[in-house]
Amino acid sequence: MKKIILLITLICASYSCSDDILEITPIDQISEASVWSDVKLTTAYHTEMYNVLQHGFKIHMQSKATDEAFNSINWDIGLIPRGDLNANNVGSVANNHWTGGGNVYFWNTGFSYLRKINLFLEKMEITELEFENKDQLIGEAKFLRAFIYFEFIKRFGGVPIIDQTYNLGDEFSFTRNTFEECVAFIESNLNDAIMVLPDKYASTDSNFGRATADAAKALKSRTFLYAASPLWNESNDEAKWQKAADAAEDLLDSGYSLHPDYETLFNQPSGSANNELIFTRQFSTTNFHQAPMHNLGRRYGAYGGWWSSNGPSQNLVDDYDMINGEPPFIYSGSGANISKTVNPESGYDPQDPYANRDPRLDATVIHDESEYHGDTFEMWVSPDGSTYGFDTYKQSSDNPRSNYQMRKFMPDANTPISWQENYTNPWIFFRLGEIYLNYAEAKFELGDEATARLYVSKVRNRVGMPDLPDTVTGEDLRKRIYNERRIELAFEEHRYWDVRRWEIAEDIENRPIYGMDIIKDGDDKTYNPVLLLERTFLPKMSLLPIETNELNRNNNSISQTPGWE
Amino acid sequence: MQQKLKIFCTDLNRFPAVTMFILLLGFSGYGQEIALSGTVTDSDGMPLPGVNVIELGTTNGVVTDFDGNYQISVPSDAVLQISFIGFETKEIEVDGQTTISVTLQEDQSQLDEVVVVGYGSQKKLTLTGSVVDVEGEEITKSPNPNITASLQGRLPGLVAVQRSGEPGRDDANILIRGTGTTGDNAPLIIIDGVERSSMGRLNPEDIESVSVLKDASAAIYGARGGNGVILITTKKGKIGKPEFSVSYNSAFNSPTQVPDMLDAPTYARVYNEGNYYRNYRDAGISYDDYLATPTQVFYSPEDIEKYRNGSNPVEFPNTDWIGDVMKDYSLQQRLTTQVTGGSEAVQYLLSFGATTQDGNFKKMPSDYKQFNFRGKIDVDINENLSIGANISAILTKREYTNIPNDINFVNLLQASPLLVSRYPNGLIAPGRFGENPLLLDQRGYNTTYDEPVYSSFTATYKIPFVDGLRIDASYNYDLSHVHQKRLSLPYTYHEYNVNTQEYDLKQGTGASTVELWDRYTRYTTKLFNYRLTYDKTFGDHHVQAMVGQETQENTSSYAEAYRRNFVSPAIDQINAGSTDPDDKNNSGNATATARNNYLGRFNYDFKSKYLFEFLFRYEGSQNFPQGQRYGFFPSIQGGWVLSQEKFIKDALPFVSNLKVRATYGKVGNDRIAQYQYLQLFGLGGNYVFGSSDAPGVTSGVLPNPNVTWEVSTKTDFGLSGSLWDGLLGFDFTYFMEKRTDILATRNLSIPSIVGFPGLPDENIGKVDNHGYEISLSHRNTVNELNYSVSANMGYVRSNVVFLDETPNPNAPWKNVEGHPVGAGVYYQADGIFNTQEELDAYPHQDGTGLGDIKIVDYDGDGDIDQDDQFRFDKTATPEIVFGMNTNFEWRNLDLNLFFQGQTNVYTYDGDFANLGNADFTNGFVMRAEDRWTVDNPDGTMPRADTFSPGASTFFLYDATFVRLKSMELGWTVPENLISSVGLNNSVRFYASGFNLLTWAKERKWSDPEGTTALVYPQLRTINLGVNVKF
Repeated sequence: MKKIILLITLICASYSCSDDILEITPIDQISEASVWSDVKLTTAYHTEMYNVLQHGFKIHMQSKATDEAFNSINWDIGLIPRGDLNANNVGSVANNHWTGGGNVYFWNTGFSYLRKINLFLEKMEITELEFENKDQLIGEAKFLRAFIYFEFIKRFGGVPIIDQTYNLGDEFSFTRNTFEECVAFIESNLNDAIMVLPDKYASTDSNFGRATADAAKALKSRTFLYAASPLWNESNDEAKWQKAADAAEDLLDSGYSLHPDYETLFNQPSGSANNELIFTRQFSTTNFHQAPMHNLGRRYGAYGGWWSSNGPSQNLVDDYDMINGEPPFIYSGSGANISKTVNPESGYDPQDPYANRDPRLDATVIHDESEYHGDTFEMWVSPDGSTYGFDTYKQSSDNPRSNYQMRKFMPDANTPISWQENYTNPWIFFRLGEIYLNYAEAKFELGDEATARLYVSKVRNRVGMPDLPDTVTGEDLRKRIYNERRIELAFEEHRYWDVRRWEIAEDIENRPIYGMDIIKDGDDKTYNPVLLLERTFLPKMSLLPIETNELNRNNNSISQTPGWE
Repeated sequence: MQQKLKIFCTDLNRFPAVTMFILLLGFSGYGQEIALSGTVTDSDGMPLPGVNVIELGTTNGVVTDFDGNYQISVPSDAVLQISFIGFETKEIEVDGQTTISVTLQEDQSQLDEVVVVGYGSQKKLTLTGSVVDVEGEEITKSPNPNITASLQGRLPGLVAVQRSGEPGRDDANILIRGTGTTGDNAPLIIIDGVERSSMGRLNPEDIESVSVLKDASAAIYGARGGNGVILITTKKGKIGKPEFSVSYNSAFNSPTQVPDMLDAPTYARVYNEGNYYRNYRDAGISYDDYLATPTQVFYSPEDIEKYRNGSNPVEFPNTDWIGDVMKDYSLQQRLTTQVTGGSEAVQYLLSFGATTQDGNFKKMPSDYKQFNFRGKIDVDINENLSIGANISAILTKREYTNIPNDINFVNLLQASPLLVSRYPNGLIAPGRFGENPLLLDQRGYNTTYDEPVYSSFTATYKIPFVDGLRIDASYNYDLSHVHQKRLSLPYTYHEYNVNTQEYDLKQGTGASTVELWDRYTRYTTKLFNYRLTYDKTFGDHHVQAMVGQETQENTSSYAEAYRRNFVSPAIDQINAGSTDPDDKNNSGNATATARNNYLGRFNYDFKSKYLFEFLFRYEGSQNFPQGQRYGFFPSIQGGWVLSQEKFIKDALPFVSNLKVRATYGKVGNDRIAQYQYLQLFGLGGNYVFGSSDAPGVTSGVLPNPNVTWEVSTKTDFGLSGSLWDGLLGFDFTYFMEKRTDILATRNLSIPSIVGFPGLPDENIGKVDNHGYEISLSHRNTVNELNYSVSANMGYVRSNVVFLDETPNPNAPWKNVEGHPVGAGVYYQADGIFNTQEELDAYPHQDGTGLGDIKIVDYDGDGDIDQDDQFRFDKTATPEIVFGMNTNFEWRNLDLNLFFQGQTNVYTYDGDFANLGNADFTNGFVMRAEDRWTVDNPDGTMPRADTFSPGASTFFLYDATFVRLKSMELGWTVPENLISSVGLNNSVRFYASGFNLLTWAKERKWSDPEGTTALVYPQLRTINLGVNVKF
């Protein structure tokens, strides 16, 4: 008995009312203090900041908001071509929406990473940590900050410039800075970065994907090009074009060269040799993307862009030149009233539409009779509709209605196509091809048409296309430069911004989207472009609205984008 | 209600023994018939009408009249059995007498009946709190192996909604008094004194009682009791010879309801319509022209005829996906055995239960197995000290396909009937997106072994020198292992190629190589508590006081390994996978939490007439920052037993028991994420440089240095009693609850532009809650028929008082505040646009055409936009739930019918709304019927491919239903038959059913308890079983 009482007393005593059991520190997380007192953790914090760079291989690619593709859905990014976007629903077209929203709305992600970057820069001012590459990390952070601001201004115009962090309970009130102030802020951040960053890494280097001085220069080139464009340069100030030309010129002789093959430029794994790439988002087998499964069709168990909403449009296909260098069509009218006639000099045959085209067509778009991955595609329907090819929309809702599928970025014949494959071909932010076109455009606007033609031709020669003849001048040349960007940079998240900054969106974005119906009667095929979507573009759509909720939360101190009030 | 049942059951138990006695008497020979009469009165001398007077062992019996008198003709050596509910049954030997007057004593067991409350039990008569309970025996009447499903409708104030019937994943979502907070609403579940999670998996035969603390009585559970507390007590050993009980039952499960989906010709017609509206209507083409133009119409009339007549099942099939994929029924079996017994010094209970349940898909590795073990022993070491141990284990194995079942149901119900499930030659076709459910058995498995072991060791020491003082201590250690194994296999199907006319073998969309995940999780709970109790009666004063301390520590950790590129799926173990670094992965994590508590309860009553109770918990939770870890949660309660007052007895003699009571107190809810007061960083957010990952760290949400628990202030008023000696019992409770300090983020008022890495929760939310609960019961005996009826209903409504919401200056009717928790935002629908005139006359959005839902211009500004949405006042959580239980017993037969239902509940079904969309999903028959078409302009349902600016009330349906939840018919084998086969106790056969009949008000296409049809349906169970005791 006594033994038992003793035992109970002992147990009680050992569990006596101590507070200590409540003192548990987190065992699966890291405290803030350790992040800033350990070089490895500080570096890891810095590494994570790179995630602000949004790749384009999301469920919804940005092409769905443009005339590059037929977008079959009327929600999310389908709101844009239908003219249904507004300040209440723009949040559903955000990069952090589950579909990726074509990376259209970037406000929340941008500002949350801006705070991370500002916090990092503030901590580096006061840190007692000494480590070798501290200046480089600071330079990279400034590059990222500039990158964020460029993403902001092309969407919203001027936004508040924030270069410090705020905490809960702080007082703050923000107003928009001007577009020019933002460009200056970008420029100064990039200049700081260029001073401390190495010029470049080879695409096979284990550091490739880090910010470099060349990446900063490329960003400058694009920023100044945008700033000189009609949307932001009402007076057509030549100095702005000069700045853009200089920034591009700065990269022309930096040791990059056009990758010889337009297909493998885009579909080789991260780490492959490619001397055209300036700055990319790299992927690994644990951090990969599934663009092929999102965008190919039923044949591979893929989803045609999900809801088959990313089938390349007839509009895009029409804009590939003939191999002789001539555009297949001559357009008249604009917007919804556009009409086209076959360019007699081109040799285009509407009943053999894929023959003798710019080789980039076959490298960008899969069409009827395309050979890809060992398969021959069949996108025809019999006259009574009862039999049809395996790749038609009639066979499966995973085949795009336009009867085209995306080819760019898609795996070569050596790479399996399945949901289990981890695709690592990089998402390209900057490559030499774009710099050539930036340069050509700026030079053209400065009146140097010969240089403009030269650099457009360099891009065309890579795929075996002839030079632009000297006879192409003036407005014709501008159209050819614009079209070269459309073709060369298709699906690379340029088109949406280009048509806006050129102020041609009211024409381009009001044109209906067409697909191609191919009727096969016996062995005869007839090709009939089919209207798939009437689109709506209003001038205010050149820029994006800020979410109404966000304006309310800011006590309306930030003004709504013009036209969206 | 419970009281009556207890009596009822005791009678039942007694019955065989009595029969036995009579049988023995029978052999001694019959005497001469005599006429016997007398009067039956209660202890106060009042006559008792309706009393059963039966010649024991026969069917000969009468009932007393209004004055308590009876006459009966019996043999002179007969034994009379006089019984009346609420009184102790008497047996009297006639022994030649002709007049026998009897005084029945009130059944003391009823007065002594206790209910389990936190850290103890209380007499029901002197209970002041809103506590309800249900006996284990009642739960065993339901053939559903999941306890949570069996509790539905049985406890007023407990809302249990079973959204899915999938074996092993069928736990009902349990709420006590509805949703009191915008945070976590889960109640605290205490099994034998310890917070334990697997209530649904207990062996029902092990359960002594389940009681629910609904009001401030839960304050004794402090910061965890805010959502109410469910207390489950398991059975103990009984003194006596070993008593074995064995029960076995076998059941057939089938879905309560599987929705009717469109057949191929209807589907094709509907799709044609959708395609027409999408592409041709706006262009001014008439529907007839569209149908007549082969390049326009999607399915030509000739094709539709082929789908209808089945002449070409390969290219023009008419697939009944449900019939092809689902079984007609699946099997379920349960076996439980239990032995109890013991001496004065040692009592024991050992039990074993086994349950198996099959899934409802033909080709799915779906199987649920559960084994329950329990050993319980109580030992009196000496007259003052007793110790005990209660050790139980639940071994479960859940085997599923590794494709989530909501996806499987989408692939079943939304699969187009124009897709082949299986070609006539036997090859399995791809189905919807290559996810044909007939392929599931080729795709691997997802198996979970969940094996908790619960142990409790208790000691009670009566302090010898102070009368009424004792110490209770318990130490509990729970250890749970969960092993989850997920194997993913490449699979193939055949696809008919229209061009080559061959069946191409194709790889499915899932794994391209064998992949295996293996995850081991370990949970521990250590709980130690001791309590000092003083319980004594001083004359008319009864005092009970208890103080105690409790500490609890929980840990969890897991490790997961992954490999792929297995040489062969034959060895499904990690070591058989590829060793290439790219083919391997692993992860792991751990957590720890702790609590330290002081608690106490003080009860006082005067003559069991005036009742007073105070209880508290001083709780320390490690969830909160240092210095703010402790909170005090008190409750004060009072009651007045009116029926003990002489003036009531005199004025209202029919009142047997009447009590009013009130409780008030504060309870906490600390179910929030840990360490919200610290700025933490987690590993993650890796970024790729070159071609490999560089590690990242991401910041967690901003810290909230003042984070604390939610506080629930609860006020209850109750009136309960019984009339006419139990003929009618009633209980009425009204309650109010105010939740404050609900954790909510200021997301809605802090702009994104400051870029905070997620905002912390702050204690800012406020929700009010009020409602009432009513239960009524009636029981009686008419001749040999014993019956009882009890009904209960609970009403609860919540109202969000404050939540940091985005201002809606233009549309205040969209605000969350002022509406119940979880209320959704909808457009108001007002039928459909049947005519062009209607359409032209009313504002509508672009895209709206004839046959679309007419959206009400809520703000009257002449166009339809987001400001026209309004917040609906009802949610998918029912405001009113009710149940009715009826028991009948007649000779050897017994029958239990249990009805249950819900109302004031609405569910929105967006899946039901889909019809004729571009994506080839199949639609519901009820949706397609009477849809608007060009040829049916008076249709009441929207057109195919209907346009709507958002969710509207058109597809918001009243989910009211009443169902015959369970029914059990039992037959106890007469004693004489049993003894002839050598058994000396009881054998009962029974048939029961679960979810037998359902009447739904509006949601008729699928089970009204679910929120969408695209889930595993609730099951209807038909069950046969036998109980043997010996």
